[in-house]
Amino acid sequence: MPESAIPASAPVRKAVVIGGNRIPFARSGGPYAYSSNQDMLIAALDGLVARFGLQGERIGEVAAGAVLKHSRDFNLTREAVLGSALSPTTPAYDLQQACATGLETVVGLANKIKLGQIESGIAGGVDSASDAPVAVSEGLRRVLLDLSRAKTTQQKIRTLARLRPKDLAPNAPTTGEPRTGLSMGEHQALTTAAWEISREAQDELAYQSHTNLAAAYERGFFTDLVTPYRGLTRDANLRADTSREKLATLKPVFGKALPTPATMTAGNSTPLTDGASVVLLGSEDYAREHNLPMLANVVDAEAAAVDFVNGDEGLLMAPVYALPRLLQRNSLTFADFDFFEIHEAFAGTVLSSLAAWENEEFCRNQLGLDGPLGSINRAKLNVNGSSLAAGHPFAATGGRIVASLAKALSEKGSGRGLISVCAAGGQGVVAILEAR
Amino acid sequence: MNEVLLGQVRALPALYRDAVLLAARRRLRGSAVRLEVPDVRHRAERIRVDPGALTAFQHLLGEPARDTLPSAYVHTVAFPVAMSVLARHDFPLPLLGMVHLGNTVEHVRSIALSESLDVVAYAENLRAHRAGTQVDVVTDVSVEGSRVWTGRSVYLARGVRLPGTGGASQQGSSGPHASSFVPPVPTGVWKLDGGTGRRYAAVSGDWNPIHLSSVSARALGMKRSIAHGMYLAARMVGQACPAPVEHLRWSIDFATPVLLPGTVAVALTDAPAGTQQGEVPGDQDGADAGRRADARQNGTAPTTSTRTDVVGWSRESNRPHFTGHVERSA
Repeated sequence: MPESAIPASAPVRKAVVIGGNRIPFARSGGPYAYSSNQDMLIAALDGLVARFGLQGERIGEVAAGAVLKHSRDFNLTREAVLGSALSPTTPAYDLQQACATGLETVVGLANKIKLGQIESGIAGGVDSASDAPVAVSEGLRRVLLDLSRAKTTQQKIRTLARLRPKDLAPNAPTTGEPRTGLSMGEHQALTTAAWEISREAQDELAYQSHTNLAAAYERGFFTDLVTPYRGLTRDANLRADTSREKLATLKPVFGKALPTPATMTAGNSTPLTDGASVVLLGSEDYAREHNLPMLANVVDAEAAAVDFVNGDEGLLMAPVYALPRLLQRNSLTFADFDFFEIHEAFAGTVLSSLAAWENEEFCRNQLGLDGPLGSINRAKLNVNGSSLAAGHPFAATGGRIVASLAKALSEKGSGRGLISVCAAGGQGVVAILEAR
Repeated sequence: MNEVLLGQVRALPALYRDAVLLAARRRLRGSAVRLEVPDVRHRAERIRVDPGALTAFQHLLGEPARDTLPSAYVHTVAFPVAMSVLARHDFPLPLLGMVHLGNTVEHVRSIALSESLDVVAYAENLRAHRAGTQVDVVTDVSVEGSRVWTGRSVYLARGVRLPGTGGASQQGSSGPHASSFVPPVPTGVWKLDGGTGRRYAAVSGDWNPIHLSSVSARALGMKRSIAHGMYLAARMVGQACPAPVEHLRWSIDFATPVLLPGTVAVALTDAPAGTQQGEVPGDQDGADAGRRADARQNGTAPTTSTRTDVVGWSRESNRPHFTGHVERSA
């Protein structure tokens, strides 16, 4: 149906998740060490195109992004489309919202589908911690730019004379927050300590993540969600044989300068990861006309941000604020959900969020609720594993979660799923999917 | 035809070194080699592709690092086997200084990085060219007994004359003639710096001295170093066919060499589908006519295809560097 045929007053349509694809996530410096963001995004797209027969198809729009991005990749997603088997007439745009990038591309394209602006969309994200951009120092950058503008030999010599040996050292990207100088792990350590989350509880969550992800692979859950790449067929970070005992032996890496005991280890924090994921979205008409499955509906989403700079709130706690607003708008409570996908940036992030929603005082004072938001049944939490086991290529995590949750809902045949993703800059995005 | 099984594929620099020695020996003894190609096939089995080497090749050509092999990379993997035929002591033409006139390739199906490749190479069709003698080198690549890629490379030995041809023959002259060339509207430009040949040598293993530096190229009669023909072919195919397809045919004819550094203007033109089915490269002499029929019966022949014609020329002199076409079917 042509888009123009839909009157402006028409009720919004449904946006459905048709399927997804990702490449196995690799630890930084591993088998994808020399693969670029574009390589991995194309590899994920290739698998999606093959799975759903999209060769030569003009998709309504493709939206994706990367958190660690080279300046030459300003048109990353469009370039990936041009390098793929999709029709070159498929438009694309890049999006960047730190670790919420992938989820936000799903939300944006789903909204366009609901409004009748597009019939189909591919949302996704990619990140490489291995092939990260390295920038020249600010001193060298200024000199090079001024040099390009210098006209006379004298001006050129004067400009070059400003160079100092230290200017030649490159700037590597960091996970530090620009306004606080603290790394993400150090920020989370503050929150983990504030909510008194124990080392045992964090290790237990990590253990469950590995166990659940391994079990999901074993039962073939990822067969139609993952395409092998560069010899990798499973997420390289997955330790199917890990144990609570092994996790307990790891030394803390964050929060060592705090007065409370440090509890965050490499085992209960996500490692630097390389990977890419994409999700195929469409209107119901599109899916039917192309004889494609409809796994779940994208119902609604909400973004939030917190003031973490002066320590009013933890850096990664924004989803805690977004969630009650989303539930209220949709007249839902925790009891209405069968699956909870809370991105495991750190085990402490998930556990602090759960603790906050259970805390009456916090819910009254900070969230403006009448009482605690409630408890989440842990048997419904990250049932197919999450970032602690799979790894976390920042922008690719949203697509991984949406595709996996949509498939879990489709397998169950009923119910709803909740997604929560925290992001740098004190931001977060939460979303609801429902089975069809 | 005899077959020689290569225990291991020799590195190309060693082949080139041998070629220098062989050329020197032939010069000392006078030309005593019979002008006919040896009746032999060279075979190498179970060649594995190194993922790191593949990535380096793909990135140099500006292609995404997929798990499937670019068509020109298959040529690269098989090249040492083809070269080992040309480097044989009983091969009639001198390997060094040989000019690459063109390639015709049939990429029967997409080939995965994980597959192990069997390669057979042989020479045939020794014939006169207006500037010397040309020969075809045919390379068949197969996976578990079924052919996945066939390439025919045409080489010219300048100044070498077949007995009885007298040097007047125009047979086999290929490529567009500079005099009649009218440049089309360019659709792109390739800016190739002085290191292009060395970088391609590093990822392809083809360390032919004519590509490496002005000094080494001059020793072989070139004004400056020149771009590898297969580098130009790889870029042509990559640009015309950015994503893997089921079946791919392409060919390229080289006219004037691309001197490095240099700028190549290119024009890609999509032609109406299926206007011209290229020859199966192995069938050029008609000896393997049955194989094409087999390919059809096995369902490997294309049903619908898209063809892109490509031409590259010098922006400075307006002389053509190459013409080619890429035909793909899903």
